[in-house]
Formats: sequence, structure tokens, C-alpha cells
Amino acid sequence: MTARVLGPIGVDVERGPALLSAIDAGPSLAAHRSRHGEPGRPQLTPLLADLERVGLRGRGGAGFPFGRKLEATAEASGRPYVVVNLSEGEPASCKDAALALTAPHLVLDGAVVAARVLGSREVHLVVPGTDLQVRAAIETALRERPDERIGFVVHRADEAFVAGQATAVIELMAGRPNKPVTSWQPAAVRGHRGRPTLLSNGETFAQLAILVLHGVDAYLAHGTPEEPGTALLTIHDDLGRRVVEVPFGTKWEAVLAQDGVDRPVLLGGYHGTWADAGELRDLTVSRAGLGAVDLTLGAGVVLVPDGCPLTFATSITSYLAGESAGRCGPCRNGLPELARALERVTSGIAGLAETERLCGLVERRGACAHPDGTARMVRSVLTRFHGEVERHARGGCSYRRDRIGRSA
Amino acid sequence: MKTQRLRVDWPSCQARGLCYELLPEVIELDDWGFPVVTGEVTPELVSAARSAVQGCPRMALRLVK
Repeated sequence: MTARVLGPIGVDVERGPALLSAIDAGPSLAAHRSRHGEPGRPQLTPLLADLERVGLRGRGGAGFPFGRKLEATAEASGRPYVVVNLSEGEPASCKDAALALTAPHLVLDGAVVAARVLGSREVHLVVPGTDLQVRAAIETALRERPDERIGFVVHRADEAFVAGQATAVIELMAGRPNKPVTSWQPAAVRGHRGRPTLLSNGETFAQLAILVLHGVDAYLAHGTPEEPGTALLTIHDDLGRRVVEVPFGTKWEAVLAQDGVDRPVLLGGYHGTWADAGELRDLTVSRAGLGAVDLTLGAGVVLVPDGCPLTFATSITSYLAGESAGRCGPCRNGLPELARALERVTSGIAGLAETERLCGLVERRGACAHPDGTARMVRSVLTRFHGEVERHARGGCSYRRDRIGRSA
Repeated sequence: MKTQRLRVDWPSCQARGLCYELLPEVIELDDWGFPVVTGEVTPELVSAARSAVQGCPRMALRLVK
């Protein structure tokens, strides 16, 4: 197992079975081609069949079937655009940065394959505005590539949690503020400049590239029959911060630091869901398996906090309230109220019913899913740690020393 | 005729409250004066719903099938 350390934040990237299989050789095009070969020019119909066969879903968090999105884009009228979203607005997520720095040509191959299939002439890449490493890595990779008769355009996203949301990205590309707007039609039908736009997360394009470069059988060799392939996870636990590629069906015990499964875990990042201590012991990395017990994999962020989950969730909620774009009334007004209500619950002052009421008041009432994701995380911490809520109401806490504190 | 749904363009909505005045049957206001859509628009409510859509000073309300 080798690890490459990324940048100033010190995230380890471990070699993996597919997407991260060639990271030791460096990010160059030559190294990429010697490991993965050339993608060729697949036709739409067989590619859709392959995507259906492997069940590829978007890796940006929502998990929409990628084949359906590709098909909708192909069927819509007008020459489509392809947009690779590497903006990764969630601070805890580093998988797209890891791909950009260790396997940029895998992402670009995926984008080029999609562009060829759709007849697109432009591929747009959205990179974090503040992470200069990611931008430099993508621009270096673009300079290495031969002329593919496809124009590449790089956009810099704001450093904001909601900047990577699909409509916010389309707004950014139009030269307007990088904030979510109401979507009356999916981007696949009406996106950039009103044309069909295939907009997906960086890992999704890398997964598409792996499928096309190595074929269906190689893709099916990883994971389970129900969920083939692998997933990138950004894990924060006692072993530090790292990006790993794991086949679906891997036991969580094998993924987390030794006692990780015996502690509360936040799965799916700040918009995710909480697993109670020990709950992950019998579970695997599986969208379906986790979904069956109301857990979500989201975009693959896994946090094992060193301390009280209720306190940690309260810090996150305050942060998320501050990350509201401020355009939608229920989110702008509701999230700060929700954060204060949860703060009261955590301080043992009461307010449980009020917290739940406010969750209901922000859900499905915004241009994007920021209020929904925040409410989901809050609801799950209250449900999973009901006993801890009661302990806090009596002035106690099971986690005597909370090293995380409330500084977030 | 099937029921239709009301959709709010949240970034446009500034809690003016006209929709609630014109269509109290399926719109309530929340703590901050923003609309809470409480149900679907049945055929008999369609004309009142259209009035609410047209009456919104921010053009933030739409009737969708």
C-alpha cells in the first residue's frame, strides 16, 4: 500500500484497485496511457447498455443513474455541453482533489468519451477557486493532451459549500454569481446557454473512463453482483485524513481505523446521516445496504469524530447555516434558527420538538438541497442518539472530553 | 383534468404574502412570512391558483403539471 500526500492539508491518497491503480507512476499522460490505454470511440447505444449493466450512479452525492442522465442529454435537442464538476464545496471531501492530482487523465478521458458520444465540442471543467493545486494539476494535464478537436474551458468556483450544486455551476458558467437558482428543467435538457448539458462530478467521469478503457468484465471484477465497481471515500478518523478507493461490498471494519465501527460515524459528509456506535459492524460499503437502514453514502465522506456526536452535529449545523447562499427565505431564516435550536438541545435547555419542527420547515423549500441535507443530518443525529439527547437534557454527556469543541 | 402543483421560485420570493391572500386553501405562511404549500391544486382551485400566480409581485409562483 502506497500513499501520496496531497498538499498543505496533508491528505493521504492510497493506491486502489481501479481509479487509483496507477498513482505511483505519477499524473502524466504517458503514465496514464501505459496503464490504461486509449479510450477509443464508443457508440451511445452499447455504452448505455454497459452503464446499465454496471449500474453506474453519479458520485456527487445524489446518486442519480448516470446512464439515464447521459441518455436524457443525448435525446434533448441541441448540441450538448459536458461539464466536469471538481469544485468539491464540502471542506471534508477531498476525493475529486485526489483524482485531479493523481489521475487527472482518467477524469479527462471520461469527459472526452462523453463529449464524443454526445457530439459535444466543448468540455467545461469546474475547479475550486482557492485550491490552486487542483487547478494547476488540471491545467498541466490539459496541456499534455493532443488536440482532440474538443475545446476545454476551466472555471473557478467560489469557496462555498453550495458552489458545486448543479444550478450554481451553470450560473457560474454564465458569468453570474456562483449560487443556486431554481431549476425548472434538469441541466440534461436545458443547461449551459439553454442547451443540453451533461454535468457530473469528477469521480463519475473517472468511473466512466475506467468502464470504457477496461471494459465491462473488468469493471464487474470489483464489487458485488448487485453493486459492481468501486467508490472513492474521504475518511477522517484516528488514522488521519485519507482518500481510499474501496470495492462495493467491503466491510466497514476493513475501511475504518480499528475501533471506528464501534464509535459514532457520520456517513456522507455534512449533509449525511449518523451511524450509531457498532451499527457499521455488520454493514458494508453499499448504497442499497446502507439505504435499507436509513444511512447514506453521499459523496463518500466518512467522519469518525473524536467526541460527542451531538456536539459535533451542532458545530456542523452552525457552519451549514452560515453557508446558506442567503437567497431563499426558508433557508436564510430557517437554518440559523435550526442551528440555535440544536444548540439548545445539546446544552440541555430543551428544544427537541422545536428542532424537529424547524427541520420540517426548511425541507424541500429552497432552490437547492442545502436545507434538505442539513435537516437530514440533524434528524439523523436526534434519531440515532436519542439516549445522548436525554443525557444532555439532564446536564450530562457520555463523551467526557470533547476535543472537537464548538469552534467550527 | 388532473391536479396541478404549485412551485415556488425561492430565490425570487420575498415573503410579500399575496399568494396566501389569494389562495389560502393551499397556502399558509411560515414563521418568516414565506409560503408553505399545503396541498395540490385541484381542478376547482385552478382559477384561484392562476390568480395567485399572476398576483405575485415577484413572479415567484408557478403552476406546474
